Amino acid sequence: MQKHEEVENKGISRRRFLSVMAGAGVVGATATMTGCSPVSDPSGTGWLPNQYRSASAIPAQVKGRVPLDPNNRSIVRNDEKCILCGQCIEACEKVQSVFGFYELPVQDDFICVHCGQCSLWCPTGAIKEREDIEKVNAALNDPETIVVVHTSPATRVGIGEEFGMPAGAWAEGQQVAALRALNFDYVLDTNFSADLTIMEEGSELVQRITTGGVLPQLTSCCPGWVKFVEYYYPDLIANLSSARSPTMMHGSTIKTYMAEKRGIDPKKIFNVAIMPCVAKKFEIDRPEFNAAGKYVHNDENMRDMDAILSVRELANMIRQAGIDFNSLPADSPYDQYEGIGSTAGLIFGNTGGVMEAAVRSAYYLITGSQPPELLYHLEPVRGLEGIKKATLNIPGVGDVTVAVASGLGNARKLCEDIRAGKADFQFLEVMACPGGCIAGGGQPRTAVPPQDWVRQSRIDTIYAKDNAGDVLDSKENGGTINVKLSHENPEIKKIYEEYLGAPLSHLAHELCHTSYTSRADSIKPKNV
Amino acid sequence: MSSKKTTPNKGVLVDLTKCVGCGSCTVACKLWNNQSFQNPENREEEFRNAHGENVKLDSNTWTTVEHMKVQKDGKEVWRYVKRQCMHCQDPSCKSVCFANAFHITEEGAVQYNPELCVGCRYCMIACPFDIPKYEWEKVMPSVMKCQFCSSKLAEGEAPACASVCPTNALIFGDREALLAQAHATISANPNLYIDHVYGESEVGGTNWLYISDVPFGDLGFPTNLPMGKSVPENIHGFTRFTPFIFAGGAALWTGVHLYSKRRHAVAEAEGNEKHD
Repeated sequence: MQKHEEVENKGISRRRFLSVMAGAGVVGATATMTGCSPVSDPSGTGWLPNQYRSASAIPAQVKGRVPLDPNNRSIVRNDEKCILCGQCIEACEKVQSVFGFYELPVQDDFICVHCGQCSLWCPTGAIKEREDIEKVNAALNDPETIVVVHTSPATRVGIGEEFGMPAGAWAEGQQVAALRALNFDYVLDTNFSADLTIMEEGSELVQRITTGGVLPQLTSCCPGWVKFVEYYYPDLIANLSSARSPTMMHGSTIKTYMAEKRGIDPKKIFNVAIMPCVAKKFEIDRPEFNAAGKYVHNDENMRDMDAILSVRELANMIRQAGIDFNSLPADSPYDQYEGIGSTAGLIFGNTGGVMEAAVRSAYYLITGSQPPELLYHLEPVRGLEGIKKATLNIPGVGDVTVAVASGLGNARKLCEDIRAGKADFQFLEVMACPGGCIAGGGQPRTAVPPQDWVRQSRIDTIYAKDNAGDVLDSKENGGTINVKLSHENPEIKKIYEEYLGAPLSHLAHELCHTSYTSRADSIKPKNV
Repeated sequence: MSSKKTTPNKGVLVDLTKCVGCGSCTVACKLWNNQSFQNPENREEEFRNAHGENVKLDSNTWTTVEHMKVQKDGKEVWRYVKRQCMHCQDPSCKSVCFANAFHITEEGAVQYNPELCVGCRYCMIACPFDIPKYEWEKVMPSVMKCQFCSSKLAEGEAPACASVCPTNALIFGDREALLAQAHATISANPNLYIDHVYGESEVGGTNWLYISDVPFGDLGFPTNLPMGKSVPENIHGFTRFTPFIFAGGAALWTGVHLYSKRRHAVAEAEGNEKHD
């Protein structure tokens, strides 16, 4: 009893505690209600770029950012990294003439041609490609799956930059070796399918010119450009070459021709391509690209291509695997069957290259004789100029004028000319990205925003290789061959002899050509 | 009350036909108000954007842009709807707050001060637009909502969201001028727009105004609100009796108490007498 009282005396009694608390509560409530508590403005504890801090009457010149579908197949954006600098709008509107070139309100689509230039301009890396590394790793780790990879022309003058090499460094062999080290089963070259494209697209051009078809013919290798036409110039779809892009020709022929040659079950093949491009990720999912399954294997669910990796993604895979890229052999050759490309296929990687390669082979297809020396150095279509033209005299046909545009803003000008009936050319090459694939949306971010000196370094390397004309023969054959013409590529000759028959044959049409979709319902283009 | 106010109310006119769903405004809001992209109620989840399908306002997301597929002329189209506090001219949140945490600034921003908030959540129930959100994850939670960037407004700047809009779907200015502009826009293109400026008279008028080519009801806006009269005005008819009910109740129960006390005393006295 006594002990209990002692404890109670040391502490505070319940009555006293309650009265203190009630007193504090009354004081607090009074202070609150009369507004005596310190009140600071609770808004704006953060930050905004200076351009948005002007008085409201003065609009910021560069505002906001481009709309991006959260389900965009090619690119994703991390809002946490976005600082609203407006660079993506610069790329999309001023360079590519996509954003701001359609009427509002929008229809049922987030207008995007998937070129990924915004991902090259974005200073914080908030915009990047939608990664497919996990999908590819799953295929690589599955012992049943045969993973076939092919590498685009422009990748070999880009990937070295990811590993400290100077801009435009030639790293073809290292890239092939790295892919083998990553356990890809067959490493093939997209230069081969570029040659195949020349055969099909060149033959189509000859056919259009000689039979009075729709001219000018427009190239169709670039999925960004193709979608641009489908949105803004659906009336020019008939002008687009029906030839698929090299990637898609490669996909369908790997699952047919190469599978047959190697005796592989095509159902087990997983087709990957290393691309300087993020629009390819959108392209492979286009519903029409299931030709190998539809026409040959009786399985419409089989896709011609299964995954696309950008150069940046491949570089990440190489780093994650702990491979020392710089110490890999520089002379690792590709595998045979669709693994050898001419240097005409190689120059597909930069602006003007498709045209030059096409002209070389078209000359042969029309005249039956090899092209003159001039066509190995078609200077008027080379370089970083946005719009280039050249006129050639082809015996039996006369003067043919060709035009080249890189950057969709430049392409738009020529499209307007065609529409107005003012086109003074018969064949137009368009690459959506300024400078062509060498500066594609999937290439290393060596300069941000992209710079011409980087583009030019990559282009210089490509033309130097074309000038020499030497390409490594397949791993199986060994050695080097000199081939500057698509129609001279021994593997091209073989695929026509052994499988496709001839350019524009029935089978070639099924596997190497495609059709396009007007997207006029999804957009109301502005009059420009 | 804001009886001393001399500056005209500021507002934002949202032209929903011009919104492309880029979400710039949601990023500007996060940057300026220093808020994370984490879901406050699920820290495990990776960051999430404040624009997209099924986005919701929460304690650190004061504005969202909801991507909605709606029917327009028999066709499914995308419409993007920015949501944030409407900044009512006579806000019900302010009228119910007994802690004086709400305050209307000179420019008409309905500013909310978390330092004064006691966390009762009356404002959440009172708000006709379901705007105030609670910090459920905190030990001492407050309510949170869009402040109309009151500190920027005070310096003559547009709110963060409106300052970054690349298509001018958000236009900042004096409310009266914006209202005139909204009507002019509608009459210049009557085939496109619905003939209604949302916020002109909803709950007595809001400083944020919307025009649209799709019925507001289809875009998730409440359409059953009192027009021309604010919520506090609307319920004044019966809430004005509150003091009398309180005082009357107190008087009644005091009487009952005194009566029963007296009865008890009498009963006790009588019992004592009997016992004796």
